Amino acid sequence: VKRLRRTRRGLPLLLVILSATAQAADEYSFEASEYAKKPFEFGGYAQLEQDHFALNPGSAFYKLAFYNGPQRENLDRATGILELTGKLRYGIGTFDFHTHSDVETDQLASDHSNQLFEAAYSIRPEPGITLEAGKRTLRWGKGYAWSPLGFVERPKDPNDPELAREGYWIADGDFIFNSEGPLQTIAFTPVLLPVRNNVNGDFGAAGYLNPAAKLYLLYHDTDVDFAWQGKGSRPARFGFDFSRNIVSNFEVHGEWARILGFTRPVTDSAGHVTNEVGNATSYLLGLRYLTAADTTYIAEYYHNGTGYSDGEARQFYQLVDTAYAQLQQSGNGALWQEALALGGGSYGRPNAGQDYVYFRAQQKDALGIVYFQPAIFAIMNRQDRSFQVTPELLYTGIKNLDLRFRLYLLHGHDLTDFGEKQNSRRVELYLRYYF
Amino acid sequence: MAVLVRILLGALLCLIALPAAALEGSQILQKVDRNLEPESYESYRKLIDIQPDGTQRAYVLWTIKKGRDKILALFLEPASDKGRVTLRIGDNMWLYIPDVGKPIRITSLQSVTGSIFNNADILRIDYTAEYNVEKVEEQGNQYVLSLKAKTGEVAYDRLKMWVDKQQLLAVTIECYAASGLLLKTLHFSQVKDFGGGIKRPAMLETDSPLYKGYRSVMLWSGLKRATFPDEVFTLNYLPRIEELRK
Repeated sequence: VKRLRRTRRGLPLLLVILSATAQAADEYSFEASEYAKKPFEFGGYAQLEQDHFALNPGSAFYKLAFYNGPQRENLDRATGILELTGKLRYGIGTFDFHTHSDVETDQLASDHSNQLFEAAYSIRPEPGITLEAGKRTLRWGKGYAWSPLGFVERPKDPNDPELAREGYWIADGDFIFNSEGPLQTIAFTPVLLPVRNNVNGDFGAAGYLNPAAKLYLLYHDTDVDFAWQGKGSRPARFGFDFSRNIVSNFEVHGEWARILGFTRPVTDSAGHVTNEVGNATSYLLGLRYLTAADTTYIAEYYHNGTGYSDGEARQFYQLVDTAYAQLQQSGNGALWQEALALGGGSYGRPNAGQDYVYFRAQQKDALGIVYFQPAIFAIMNRQDRSFQVTPELLYTGIKNLDLRFRLYLLHGHDLTDFGEKQNSRRVELYLRYYF
Repeated sequence: MAVLVRILLGALLCLIALPAAALEGSQILQKVDRNLEPESYESYRKLIDIQPDGTQRAYVLWTIKKGRDKILALFLEPASDKGRVTLRIGDNMWLYIPDVGKPIRITSLQSVTGSIFNNADILRIDYTAEYNVEKVEEQGNQYVLSLKAKTGEVAYDRLKMWVDKQQLLAVTIECYAASGLLLKTLHFSQVKDFGGGIKRPAMLETDSPLYKGYRSVMLWSGLKRATFPDEVFTLNYLPRIEELRK
């Protein structure tokens, strides 16, 4: 009788345990068959972004942008972005695409654009061989913020190096060989990039079929690439990169590139432009370090051999000041047109200087909040000591949703890189939903 | 004199006994490796991170492994991570993010998912490839193996592994830092027949004194023997890895 009573007393507990076990099994049910590959896949993200720009009315690039419009102290811009990706598989081939559309509006104008970032058809007759043709974004080099070895790609934005970029129309192959021993992998990537008036027109001079190639080696735990681009729409260039973990939480990387016969327009403050032709060497050295507290540090030093020294840049800023004053006082726009052309060309590209330092620190799960990652990064023009500091807050705790806040703080005296930017402050907030 | 002889005899016995125990231990560890997974395989895994308030986030990965030290994992879910690939060859690890485009080197202690499972857990290669057995003890129906990392590159300096004597499967593993700090505990459960002679735990739970109240769970499905060419385990192949999936 006692045993029966004990059994009766234990029965509810047993039921609770069994119920909890069944619940746990349900909660964690998982079947591989639910994830079978589909012949067509579709995805992407939609983003809503709000920016506030505190403009810098005295700066060269403010004048170049706002010379013919109402003068403003600040600007608020709302942007919507839609990026779509998809894959269609048929036989040994795969067609994939990546589109980018955006619409933006501020107090001055509204605009929209649609771009095809990538659309390529690829086949793999053997596991180690891939052949493809179409629009593709190649990404060469090991640098985080810059890549001097990115010979056949549009440059990345150091403020957002991880953003997708528009590719070029190319035909390329990939041939991979593996072996035992210290040289574990060899991969060869030849590329052909045609330039016509309506195909890859912004790559360089039309009428060329530009060859390029990259050779990758994994040798003794070190990644090494050798890259080359033949003379054609652009001057010939070659270089190499490497990346290696010195210890498991400390990585070093570097790039070196040489451009032969590069033409560089250089102006003085009076608007006399000289086309200097010479060989240019660019290089980058960087590291990534992860601490036990999950803080990641990234630091890079970049020498841009095609860039402008602080003295050369100063001449350009003085030219803009002079031309703008002439335009205001006498309406004479001849010098101004020259300044506009230079500002829209090589002087106006992002990070047009010669020597930059990049530093980024990010903390995973900060303040005990899971998926909360604050970060701060800085870019400094080493020659003129002007810089930008950007604190960032990123929260990814809601499934498929990224929420990011950034404050760009630019600092520099007159006639310096960051002191002559269009804005001195920028507040950015975006919400990105992946589907 | 007698004491000295006893000490010498004891030392001699230890010298004889140690290699025997170590040999047995390494054999047990080899069995554990092969019973957990075939040397070359493919499988689907679901990683679930559970926060103290019960909030969950799940990741689904397709994983392939070749030999003792080549493994990669392709993210299938959630949408924000789809297409990411992590590759490991020995001590080298890389992460490929589709938009970033080029693989970046990562470390074993990082977690690409943000969970208690770090990259070494997600891209685990054979225990025998990374650890030596220092000591074997018996506790009832379990062996207790004390493992020491072969190099400083291994994520955990020491492991204490409880192994079921009958099935020769890991039951519990405690992971320690070189300082002796307990980093996490792994609990294997729900032994399941996957077919093809593979019978192993379908669930792994982990908790960590460093993340009080947080739990992470790893589930297996579709585990089977499979062989892939070496070319697949290279940086150049990562953007196309999904095409291998059936």
